[in-house]
Amino acid sequence: MKMMRRPTKTCPFCETRVRHVDYKDDRTLGRFITEQGKILPSRLSGVCARHQRQLATAVKRARYLALVPYIKGHQG
Amino acid sequence: MSRQYEAVYVFDSALEDSAITEKLSRFHALIGATGDITVDAWGRRQLAYKIGTKETGYYAVARFEAEAAGLPEYERAIRLDDGVIRHLITLHEHELGAPPMTPEEQAAAAKRREEDEDEEE
Repeated sequence: MKMMRRPTKTCPFCETRVRHVDYKDDRTLGRFITEQGKILPSRLSGVCARHQRQLATAVKRARYLALVPYIKGHQG
Repeated sequence: MSRQYEAVYVFDSALEDSAITEKLSRFHALIGATGDITVDAWGRRQLAYKIGTKETGYYAVARFEAEAAGLPEYERAIRLDDGVIRHLITLHEHELGAPPMTPEEQAAAAKRREEDEDEEE
């Protein structure tokens, strides 16, 4: 049944029924960060608008707390 | 009106555990919290980037309910403390993260993941 492709990606946060994205959960946030440490655009990750907004704030908070890097592979 | 807050502290990992608990209780005495203060100590972990010369930090998360009027003094005490590398105080009005899944949901999620992997091939 190769024809039955789901037409759109579903939001990974909605799928696990997350109401509010947790800025302390660096393992989850790590999935939405590029190799350089940038926030992954929702067109690539399929995150819905509501959760993408929360995700952006969460990543920025996590960066300040040194849970997630500002720039990956940066020395000094 | 009192509100729910969540504070994350990153302490210098060179500090003794007893010194950290002493600092925490000193900070928390300033809040004037209505109700209990729950502290969740994560312990020492690697920082994602160097802060000064420090590469590890001691993380602790506190949740409390307090009047906003008491917070500036509390935050000032944290800022003045050299043992605290980073701190963040946020409003905690909603539960964060995913709720625990029921066994059926976990099975359904696992099935969906398998299907996704098939599609990618």
